Amino acid sequence: MSNSETLVNRTLGKRSGNMFTARAKAFSITAVLAVIAAVACTDPTVAPKSTIAPGTFFGSDPNAYAEFLAKVYGGLAVGGQQGGDGSTDIQGIDGGFSQYLRLYWELEELPTDEAVIAWGDQDLPDLNTQTWNPGNRFSTAMYYRIFFQVAMANEFLRQTTDDSLNARGVPAAKQTTIHQYRAEARFLRALSYWHGVDLFGNIPLVTEAQPLGAVAPQQATRAQVFNFIVTELQAIKSQLPMPSTQVYGRATQAAADMLLAELYLNDSVYTGTANYAGALAQASAVISSYGYTLASNYFSNFSATNNNSPEMIFAIPEDGVHTQTFGSTNFLIHASCGGSMDKNTYGVDGCWYGLRMKPSAHDLYATGDTRANAFYTPGQTIGITSISNFNAGIPNPKYSNVGGSNPQFADTDYPMFRLAEAYLIYAEAEVRGGGGDTTTALSYVNALRLRAFNGDSTKMVNNSQMTLPFLLAERGRELMWEARRRTDLVRFGDFSGGNYLWAWKGKNPVGSDSIGVATAPHLDLYPLPASELIANPNLKQNPGY
Amino acid sequence: MKPVRFIAGALLTITGLAPLSAQTGTVRGHVTSSDGGPIAGATLTITGHRTLTSSDGSYVINGVAAGSDSVRARIIGYAPQAKAVTLQGGDTATVDFALTAQAVALAEVVVQGYGTQAAGDLTTATKQINDSQFNPGAVVSPQNLIENKVAGVQVIDNNDPGGGLSIRIRGASSVNASAEPLYVVDGVPLGTGSGGGLSGGRDPLNFLNPDDIASITILKDAAATAIYGANASNGVVLITTKTGTAPGTTQVQYGGSFSSSSITRVPSMLNAAQFKAAVNTYYPAKAGLLGNANTDWFPLISQTGTGMQQNVSLAGAGANNGYRLSFGYLKQNGVIQASSTERISLGLNYDQRLFNNFIDMQASLKGSRALDNYTPGGVLSNAAQMGPTQPVFDPTTPTGYANWVPLTLNSADNPVEILTTSLDHASTYRSIGNLKTHVDFSRWPALQGLTGTVNLAYDVTQVDHVSFFPNNIHAQTRNGNDGSYFRTQPYQLNELLEMYLDYQPPVSLGPGALDFTGGYSYSQSHADFPSVSANQLFTNLLADNGLPQTANPPVQADFIDDAKLISFFGRAGYNINDRYLASVSLRHDGSSRFAASHQWGDFPAVSLGWRISQEPFLSSVTAISDLKLRGSWGKTGNQSIGNYLGSSSFQPCDSKGEVQFGNDALGKPIFMCPFRPSAVDPNIQWESTTTWDFGADYSLLGSFLSGSVDYYSKHTDNLIFTVPVAAGSNLSNFVTTNIGTMSNKGFELDLTARLMDRPGLSWTVSANAAHNVNEILSVNPNVTAATQVLTGGIAGGVGSTIQVLEPGQPINSFFVCQQAYSSGKPVEGKYVPQVTGDTSTTCSLGHNTRAFHDPAPHWIFGLTNTMTYRHFDFSFTLRAWLGNYVYNNVGSNLGNYIQLSYGAPFNLQSSVLQTGFKTQQLLSDFYVEDGSFLRMDNIAVGYSFPFQGRQIRAYMVVQNAFTITGYSGVDPTSGLNGIDNNIYPRSRMFTGGLDVKF
Repeated sequence: MSNSETLVNRTLGKRSGNMFTARAKAFSITAVLAVIAAVACTDPTVAPKSTIAPGTFFGSDPNAYAEFLAKVYGGLAVGGQQGGDGSTDIQGIDGGFSQYLRLYWELEELPTDEAVIAWGDQDLPDLNTQTWNPGNRFSTAMYYRIFFQVAMANEFLRQTTDDSLNARGVPAAKQTTIHQYRAEARFLRALSYWHGVDLFGNIPLVTEAQPLGAVAPQQATRAQVFNFIVTELQAIKSQLPMPSTQVYGRATQAAADMLLAELYLNDSVYTGTANYAGALAQASAVISSYGYTLASNYFSNFSATNNNSPEMIFAIPEDGVHTQTFGSTNFLIHASCGGSMDKNTYGVDGCWYGLRMKPSAHDLYATGDTRANAFYTPGQTIGITSISNFNAGIPNPKYSNVGGSNPQFADTDYPMFRLAEAYLIYAEAEVRGGGGDTTTALSYVNALRLRAFNGDSTKMVNNSQMTLPFLLAERGRELMWEARRRTDLVRFGDFSGGNYLWAWKGKNPVGSDSIGVATAPHLDLYPLPASELIANPNLKQNPGY
Repeated sequence: MKPVRFIAGALLTITGLAPLSAQTGTVRGHVTSSDGGPIAGATLTITGHRTLTSSDGSYVINGVAAGSDSVRARIIGYAPQAKAVTLQGGDTATVDFALTAQAVALAEVVVQGYGTQAAGDLTTATKQINDSQFNPGAVVSPQNLIENKVAGVQVIDNNDPGGGLSIRIRGASSVNASAEPLYVVDGVPLGTGSGGGLSGGRDPLNFLNPDDIASITILKDAAATAIYGANASNGVVLITTKTGTAPGTTQVQYGGSFSSSSITRVPSMLNAAQFKAAVNTYYPAKAGLLGNANTDWFPLISQTGTGMQQNVSLAGAGANNGYRLSFGYLKQNGVIQASSTERISLGLNYDQRLFNNFIDMQASLKGSRALDNYTPGGVLSNAAQMGPTQPVFDPTTPTGYANWVPLTLNSADNPVEILTTSLDHASTYRSIGNLKTHVDFSRWPALQGLTGTVNLAYDVTQVDHVSFFPNNIHAQTRNGNDGSYFRTQPYQLNELLEMYLDYQPPVSLGPGALDFTGGYSYSQSHADFPSVSANQLFTNLLADNGLPQTANPPVQADFIDDAKLISFFGRAGYNINDRYLASVSLRHDGSSRFAASHQWGDFPAVSLGWRISQEPFLSSVTAISDLKLRGSWGKTGNQSIGNYLGSSSFQPCDSKGEVQFGNDALGKPIFMCPFRPSAVDPNIQWESTTTWDFGADYSLLGSFLSGSVDYYSKHTDNLIFTVPVAAGSNLSNFVTTNIGTMSNKGFELDLTARLMDRPGLSWTVSANAAHNVNEILSVNPNVTAATQVLTGGIAGGVGSTIQVLEPGQPINSFFVCQQAYSSGKPVEGKYVPQVTGDTSTTCSLGHNTRAFHDPAPHWIFGLTNTMTYRHFDFSFTLRAWLGNYVYNNVGSNLGNYIQLSYGAPFNLQSSVLQTGFKTQQLLSDFYVEDGSFLRMDNIAVGYSFPFQGRQIRAYMVVQNAFTITGYSGVDPTSGLNGIDNNIYPRSRMFTGGLDVKF
């Protein structure tokens, strides 16, 4: 030890050329290398691996644009990126709970004379009885669902401008396809905006023109959003494909016409100015331009193979293997099953004990009406003494997964628009003075009645019988549990208020008294979410909340 | 040789020193304390030269001018000495010193970032706890060792054996869930988040055997932490593990203990008679469902938790090396059945000095395997909710356990059935290791005082977490899952390269001594999260051992996460005679977690210290043994956010999330995988905290009283949080972004009184107190104009929240309505109006809700009392929190009669007897309870005696002896955010053990 130390001292003081020279050299070289390595490692950028950067996605994936558009469609079909609504699109609520069509259905059906749900999930019972408040998480989730669709469509449009496509060197032929995709995205955005103005009234109008993530959007009036949707649909209709098997489940010119018909039918509600002529014209276009015909069997519109129905105008395709959700038709089929019902009769793996009809819905049907054939009565009562008791109320399992590929997840496509409703819109618009002719209107209504009553012509109606109350009831019968009822009742002035009372309307959902009472008129609109008023101070709550 | 000579020449030129001449000599020697132990880090000065002693106390000063001079040896805590020396040219003189201790505590080596410092020279708020001061008893997680020992450090455990722990240093600096400090083990930063590891097991830090830990140092102010820059906002915890013994010795130690624990408190639910009465009164239609049993569910799922620990270590040292090898085994059963943790740990520290201390290589390897068993999901909540009128067993069911009839009802499930049939466990393998090579260039005179360190480290974790629920239990058949299997095997590898130089100029510059540290750090992290989940199992026979056929194909998922952090750092210190002290540091960090334009951040700090007791005007005040005033300012960062949040990317679907995209020409569906762009804020930037700290370290009346006081003010800018954003403005309804600013202000007091210190009798009392006031200063996400952000999810409704971030209020204040009372009883649905002019008495989110109290304690007190008398030792630790509030979520969720309305009635929390609430009143402030408490954390008694040349200590410890609180729920400390919902109950634990030193 001391030897080497002495050596060191001498060496360093006086001489060179011993063991330390080599070591010092080696060390110096190592140090220099280390410094070079360090200098080289000054870029902290890390590219994502399990998600794809936009440049790579659009640059290297030939299906990128279709896959992105598929997300805009998929936002209606599944609650998230994973089967069973995992990796949910909107946060703060369970993926299955927040599935678009499930929420839309619940908001359109539960507060009406058509349905109740037994479950006690926080805020859900309030929907049965029109007793919600601005914190209701179902209306809140629906609001976020609508704007998720809008945001996805907007982003698709931002990513597919001509400039972007040219910059990425997308070939002209493909650009033509993408132009059609853009029209489809705009249709889907219009569809969700329709749901938005219908459910919530004055909502923000956000388009691809606004930059992403910059500022809280301003509130638009219901009329402004309505006009935007109409203008959009008129602008894109010609860019959409004609209906065909190839574009099943996608936006077509027929779907655009049908959506316009829905909008015009409710124009008086949305803008205060009726446009029944517009509704009639659009319904007429749907009926005559695309070759749709009524399915011979009413229930083939709600079966696992309803994609084959000739009256399906626009469906949201579900699939037990590829497209798995706890919302949409899968929810409707499972939740309509309970009591002594056999799950196998409906092609599902179990019953969720949820949905039944309110007594008024049950009472809409006359004897012989095959549309009531799905009603399940053993062990069930017509009256509902307790909403939480599944045996109170008649279940209407009209949706079915019999023959489906997977009993846990339905194959049944969600029927968003079907020809029968176009018939009813024509008839209602005609009766309300929107033009057209009575004979045609009667023929449409009676076509539905004949199908319903197995061709029994005694059940046909004549001109004097085809009144507005009749048409409301007929819409109830034909479109039972198809998420139109709240909109219909609002249009007829029967949803809130005391014109029309039904069991549980306005009552304590967990009480025992089912005699309905008049409700406040502000309930015609859902409240803007309390949490959204906090997140976006530009918004003004709907009156009455 | 040439490069060295060149560098040496360059340095000499720079420092303007005269070149070496022949008329010089060398002074060398050893510095020891008067008891003979070597003193490291002592400063030796002789005209124009300065050096420090190395770890063995030796020093060498070269190039001393010939002639007579005096050598001075000095280190804080000891009386300085000077010795005359006379040198001829070329001579070597040996001068040894034996210094007399004055205040040894000041000389204590305190670990800091990239170095050490004598306690007396610290200019920052730093507190080191050594192993002799650690909490006694059965301690699973290292963090528990220092619970209550340091003012301003709040340790929040979740009662589960070895369960996740959170530490808050001086309040929460971040609203982000991971406001955890940075842990640095033997110089290796463990990455961001709690323990820097994967949470597949329990607490990520559990891989460390507490028995291997020599000291834990808490860096509290920014001047201490800023050298760790980007990860330092929440404070830094430095853990140093035990190393070899003194040269030439070998020591074998054994420690073993056995423990037994039992539950202290469970949620208060209705008994069978009360339950039956409630059903008969409120939902008589359900009465027919009730059974006639009288079942108390909690005792059926709980147990006496036994545990044991065995530790063996071998430590020794040779002339140039030192080693410590340790083995630890721990098994701890929880007080809820099926919960346990078991750990085997191995540790090796090896230190080899080469070429006469030219190179010092320190290798450290730690490895452990932890086996964690968890109480299967739903057991605790079902024990609360299951009807007490229902029996436990029913021989007619597939599992033999009773459930509500008919089985299809929406109901609670038999918790004993879940407990005995289902499995949830994880194994975690974690190893960290590093090789630190320390080169002392002092042997070249021109480089005297220069040392270099290269630290290479890895940290690897492999987790295997499996849960299994059979297909025939009620919980599974009722919800249609019909058996569930989930397995995830996350893997993470962190790698680190650090290089730094330390330079202490060998000459005196001005009146004081300078030292410089500068370096570079590169760390990268790679994690992989594969998982498979399945339900509708065809058989239960495989249980957790494999995946049987399933009706529904299993879902596989994988996700890869990469991150990088690149840093440059430097520090300079200046010390004038241990009287005037100054330090500056700067760190320049680049993080992969931010978009390219916001990747880099600078984190500077300055601190000053003045040992005013050294001044002549105080020298006459004998009561003041030592008094140092400190002041510091610094800025630190926080990057504990998810990866890839700076730029949007597209996420693909899984095989069951495909979407039909029309049909092909043959009419066959085309299934397209939808890609979803992520919602990001491309402008997201560093969260940074600026801290002022003013403090004093004092020692009075000899060392009768000592400690420190501190006042601090922390200001956090650009708080990062995932917040709801205005619908339509981004690609999701939640985005991670910078949302606002926050402040924490408070003061801390540490006091140790050595009441008695005589041979055979000693008595020390240590107390600490900390007061913190937190306030959100602004909430202004740049994507919205919101002034409030809702936080704190609760049970009782999907998506419900109970807390708020609101300017002027503490972080996570409860956001509730003020309950109206009549005759002392809360009136259901009636609340005190909060807005002038609005007389509505209803309550909903945003209407009549207001910020009301917060979950953080405003005062934290700790008291440790230690006494030894001859062979006996006795200690206890008390803790108190004041001003912390708890939301009793079990009460708000289950304390209402509507719970009886479900398919089968749920049991009720007993507050319903007081409130009579028919429906949930989730937003009522009735459920926000004062959680202040006083707790006897531990009491220990020990007896030490020699036996056949071995030193033996036998001891008994009671942990969590008692708690005095007005809180009505299970535990006022549980849950980080003060939300008490079916938490794991706290236990009281008795431990007996034996330590033997061979």
